[in-house]
Amino acid sequence: MKKLLLLLAFSTAMFAQVSKAVEVPYISYEIKMGKGFDEVNANCLMCHSFGYITNQGPQSRAFWKAKVDKMITHFKAPIAKSDAKIIVNYLSKHYGNGK
Amino acid sequence: MKRRDFFKTAAVMGAATVGSSAFGSETTTRQPIDNRPISKINFPEKRPMITYSDRPPLLEAPRETFTQTITPNDQFFVRWHLPEIPTYNDTDKFTISINGLVKTPYQITLKQLKEDFEQVEVTAVMQCGGNSRSAFQPITGGIQWGSGAMGCAKWKGVRLSDLLHRAGLQKESEWIGFNGLDNAAYYKTPNFVRELHLSELDDHVIVAYEMNGEDLPYLNGYPVRLVLPGYYSDSWVKMLSNITVTDKYKNLFFMDVAYRVPDNETESETPEHKYKTTKPITTMNVKSVIGFPANGETVAYGSQLVVRGVAFDSGIGIKDVFISLDDGKTWEAAILDDGKAGRYAYRGFRYSFKPETYGEVRIMAKAVDKLGNEQPLTKDVKWNHGGYKFNGIDVVTIKIA
Repeated sequence: MKKLLLLLAFSTAMFAQVSKAVEVPYISYEIKMGKGFDEVNANCLMCHSFGYITNQGPQSRAFWKAKVDKMITHFKAPIAKSDAKIIVNYLSKHYGNGK
Repeated sequence: MKRRDFFKTAAVMGAATVGSSAFGSETTTRQPIDNRPISKINFPEKRPMITYSDRPPLLEAPRETFTQTITPNDQFFVRWHLPEIPTYNDTDKFTISINGLVKTPYQITLKQLKEDFEQVEVTAVMQCGGNSRSAFQPITGGIQWGSGAMGCAKWKGVRLSDLLHRAGLQKESEWIGFNGLDNAAYYKTPNFVRELHLSELDDHVIVAYEMNGEDLPYLNGYPVRLVLPGYYSDSWVKMLSNITVTDKYKNLFFMDVAYRVPDNETESETPEHKYKTTKPITTMNVKSVIGFPANGETVAYGSQLVVRGVAFDSGIGIKDVFISLDDGKTWEAAILDDGKAGRYAYRGFRYSFKPETYGEVRIMAKAVDKLGNEQPLTKDVKWNHGGYKFNGIDVVTIKIA
């Protein structure tokens, strides 16, 4: 149902349904369990869903390391060095391409 | 944000997943991945779409949308960069601030935007720079879109130049930065700010509040967004709240690191030898996509088949779309629509034929712009590390039975 927010005489446009907060659905992704999952869970999900990981396609260790570095350097994610290593290992193992 | 229980291994619920089986080991460009499943979950004001992420939301339109020259609002693709997007904007209180190197900085409400300026409309294609990225091999970083990260809408709003004119640009002004209401989870994360050089602005750039006769859908940037006809959509800032005029280019992550291609003639490189200097992706290259039939469809032998699709470029204008049914040996002109939607819009094309052989038929569509630029064969599209600007000739394979 569309709710009218305000009536404007000169406009016949329909109004977006934003008279109250919209609800964006939550998707539960199939994600691989294994060593490092807890660190991924604690560090990555603040900013993005698992979809960002599963939808990159299988990638090399160097690729995943560069991605994690980008999160730290450019996006200022507060990921501890020790965690970063564990996360890269996890990603290369479960979402790697063997390189 | 509710704390979610991530430890439940729930069903996939139709979220797009990339299986390793979908990727070969060849190192040439191929057709983008097609026929990805539509999610069972629908997002606010959207039909169920191909869904890559819920946070930030990333939604792709299915191929069938390219039989229409106007993309329905509820099937228009969605791509946000930052996770914290306001779920409610009180349009009585919402303002856009125009500030920086201007004589009179001011704030404008939605009502003033609609009442105090000349209202203009432009029909324009909005396409993500990474649209069709899944064509590139080796796989590049970034979401592996099919060809559905694009759409075309009739946008209504106010010329950016009119807004700037009211503020009065100061002599030294050279750059304009745009920011929206979306925020990062961490205070230190850079905002998704875009900068444009004054020379890039023309009267076609608008601050739009309406799309196809309706308010912008929430996920497409309600209540207002920037519309830059001919440009890739990374610069079309959503939930636009701030316009700042400066004299110097500010180094920004999303301008300096993301959305860039090699700064050489072919805009290409190899995975082993990345090109040293890069430039932002700006205007779109010539492209066409077939909307019907879809890959894998079966068509009755001897029936009259009408191929439909859309073609577009950066605003030069489409001159022809050619169809080949023999792997590119011969090409025949498709019928184009009247082009009245303007040079930034989708140009619809159709081509009818009677399949007179049994088995597989490969339908290829190639667009040519008014300067003679034409789409390359997919195998000739060269690699770049971000997987941007793919415009290889679309191929749809059907079965005649």
